[in-house]
Amino acid sequence: MSVIAEHGGLAEHIHPEPQGFIRKYIFSLDHKIIGIQYIITAFVFFVLAGCLAEIIRIQLMHANGGFITPDTYDEVYSIHGSAMVWLVIIPMLTGGFGNLVMPVQIGARDVAFPWLNMISFWIFPVSGLMLFSSFLMGAPVAGWTEYPPMSLQGAAGTSMWCAAIFLVGVSSTLTGINFLVTMLKMRAPGMTYTRMPLFCWGQFATAPLLMIATTALAAALAALFMERQFGVPFYDPTKGGSPVLWQHMFWFYSHPAVYIMILPAFGIMSEVISVFSRKPIFGYRLIAFSSAAIALAGFMVWAHHMFTSGIAPYMQLPFMVITFIIAVPTGVKIFSWIATLWEGKIHLTSSMLFALGFLVLFTFGGISGVFLAAIPFDLHVHGTYFIPAHLHFVLVGGSLMGIFSGIYYWFPKMTGRYMSEFWGRVHFVLFMIGFLGTFLPMHWLGAEGMPRRVATYDPQFQGVNQFESIFSFIMTLAILIFFINALYSIRNGKKAGHNPWGARTLEWQIPSPMPYYNFKHIPSVFGLPYDFTEPLPYAHLEEELTDSPVPVGSH
Amino acid sequence: MSKHRGFTIVTVVLALLSIAEILYFWLMPTVEPWLPPEGGHPGDQVDWLFRFMASAAALLYTFVVGYVIYFAIAFRRRRGDSPDALGPNIHDNPKLEAAWTIVPTLFVVLLSVLSIKIWYVLQVQPANGLVVESIGRQWYFTFRYPDVNGEVTSEMHLPVNVPVTLNVTSADVIHSFWVPDMRLKADMIPGMINTIRFTPTRIGRYKIICTEFCGTGHSTMDKQVMVVEPVAQYEVWYRGWQVHNAQVSNAIPTVSSGAISLTGGSASAGQALFAQKCTACHALGPFSQRIVGPGLLGVLHDPTHPNLVDGDPATPPNVAKILQNGYTGSFGHMPDEAENGLSSKDIANLVAYLNTLKVK
Repeated sequence: MSVIAEHGGLAEHIHPEPQGFIRKYIFSLDHKIIGIQYIITAFVFFVLAGCLAEIIRIQLMHANGGFITPDTYDEVYSIHGSAMVWLVIIPMLTGGFGNLVMPVQIGARDVAFPWLNMISFWIFPVSGLMLFSSFLMGAPVAGWTEYPPMSLQGAAGTSMWCAAIFLVGVSSTLTGINFLVTMLKMRAPGMTYTRMPLFCWGQFATAPLLMIATTALAAALAALFMERQFGVPFYDPTKGGSPVLWQHMFWFYSHPAVYIMILPAFGIMSEVISVFSRKPIFGYRLIAFSSAAIALAGFMVWAHHMFTSGIAPYMQLPFMVITFIIAVPTGVKIFSWIATLWEGKIHLTSSMLFALGFLVLFTFGGISGVFLAAIPFDLHVHGTYFIPAHLHFVLVGGSLMGIFSGIYYWFPKMTGRYMSEFWGRVHFVLFMIGFLGTFLPMHWLGAEGMPRRVATYDPQFQGVNQFESIFSFIMTLAILIFFINALYSIRNGKKAGHNPWGARTLEWQIPSPMPYYNFKHIPSVFGLPYDFTEPLPYAHLEEELTDSPVPVGSH
Repeated sequence: MSKHRGFTIVTVVLALLSIAEILYFWLMPTVEPWLPPEGGHPGDQVDWLFRFMASAAALLYTFVVGYVIYFAIAFRRRRGDSPDALGPNIHDNPKLEAAWTIVPTLFVVLLSVLSIKIWYVLQVQPANGLVVESIGRQWYFTFRYPDVNGEVTSEMHLPVNVPVTLNVTSADVIHSFWVPDMRLKADMIPGMINTIRFTPTRIGRYKIICTEFCGTGHSTMDKQVMVVEPVAQYEVWYRGWQVHNAQVSNAIPTVSSGAISLTGGSASAGQALFAQKCTACHALGPFSQRIVGPGLLGVLHDPTHPNLVDGDPATPPNVAKILQNGYTGSFGHMPDEAENGLSSKDIANLVAYLNTLKVK
């Protein structure tokens, strides 16, 4: 307290740390606790949605299905998709990692609106429970996209689905506002935009997407809900509505949502690849700029999901060309990361392995995305297994690999301990094998003639489907190893110092786990976040670090 | 600088590998390892685009994966390195960055031009083509052919090498019409017509698959086939359906069969009524579902006119039934006789008038 008192005037702005368990860990206003709450909750939903994925794979082991009825199967994949998108990847990458890391990285003590942050979080598990409770009243069947008129005929759970997704969208929107204001107004002195860590740039590009795009989804969902419950005709063609209207509104959200799900993962990649290559990130400005470019262009490509839906032919072209163009900034990022590896002193930690795996898998998903953007080829593979293949390459091979990489990277910051590197490598190897075996053959299945969202299929595809199912079990085993490793390491992992990876960004310059209020004094920033050879530190801090500096390579 | 020699060797190996992949994608005789056998035009152009994109993708992906793996091995921290060893202080390289921004941009321009060229082929209406319709229903497809009354409910037959314009729509929820061998697809959306234009060039039986989730039976909506056969065989099949559906007559029955007697309707009275009651929604033009109600020119005589909105064939008693009962369903709303203020005599007059309308 003496240090604070000396700097006069600061002490009265600092609220005392709450001592009760409930205020400290349940209804916490602390961004770090909220971030960890998001991550844990999202992993709980990840386990549930992952079980649904395995039910899907078991059903598909036989061409005639037989494990569950087609109606149940439709419910299972609909909730699997909805939960993975809205309850796992988006909350994990924005509310989870964003809350945990972003305020510290910009040298702030918390987000701009801590109460709003707490509300955002608490909406999320409630809406997740609502989503899963729709199974009790007949879950939606028309996939995570819920196209009407099919979704108008769905069981009562479809309305519950609307309400749940609407609520989780409110949570996203509030988080977007919160993060944007935090990054605009609360950066530490000297933290200019070009000194901001690239993870923050990822969040900075994502926040407006959360704010703007999610409102379009909210409108679409409100209309669907009103039509289902009160018969207000928005989408039903028999009453003068348009089913294609839903598709426009849904994809006006859900395409930017793809970037909501990948831009923060890009941010994690930039941190991890630079730190473990022991080199400055290559082309900082171009990486930061390309995030913004992707976010902006992401608003102008939604109808590439609708090339078969009968939009006016000439309207298809701009959507195709802009989608092609997005490949350029994405490619720039990939090339910059690879160039960062060049002549580095690469530490092949678990976190880095997942980052390298990201480069390999995400690039494949990006390339198949260009295939899908080309209208003539899209007309062939639209609505087939090529689509699940592509989206799992970008969302599992991209976003989820980024999440794993980020967990291994920031675990010492959250808990003060390492996760087991050995089991991390086992996780990586099994996950890569399982993932490729599960999703790579799906491209072929789709191109050869297997439609998506089917409970039974042409027997000629049974062998390949069995192959995929077996590899999906390997992937599940890998994830199980990850969870055991994480849970075990919370209490029993090897102790890590405050900066075990030798990173320069601010979160690593304060003790682990991070203290309440983060910084005794707001740091002043005068360097670049990835200049490892620079003898001067990135920022001026006055922290009392009790642990002795650990050599970077000792993990 | 041994690591740079390694880099050169790896680059050469990756380049050779890429060339081999590109040659493979261009020299493979058919795309069958990757796509089903190609059965028509412009499916051949789609295959060409696939070869083009696959070769470009193979080139890019080989180098990305090759370099990631090589760099991870060659530049890994070695046992002898100091724990705090750092890589060189390289921040950027404007020339390199310009190159990997501009080259992909140029590629994107090229790909756009090629895609638009093929896209344009898909939009061109073939002259002298066969116009066929398909209607998606839960959970099967039906087809309509010129000069065949009603709907064909089993297989879809097409003559080989004859351009086809296929109009698709749906009677219930959204379906999607896909024949993998033809590489083309269109969603069947209630209240809308989407069009596929193609020319089958290979004789065979091809699966028709629904690719938009449409309910419990979606998985089973792949049982029907498109049969492409020589014109003579097609004609036999086609005549068969003409005969099969022949009982569906367009003549006004002399004996009253429905609730309304249609005998003795006055066409001129019907014309006056039509102007009063019907023209707000119906044009005296060709059939088109893009306006409020379909155009009614030739509704009872144009063989290409689809079935009535309730799915029944366009016959005078069925038209009378719609005038009497109205229609509310996936295609919209048509008022019934009470709402329109029509007597039975008015309906008979209207049917008589409609029966005089013929396509020139």
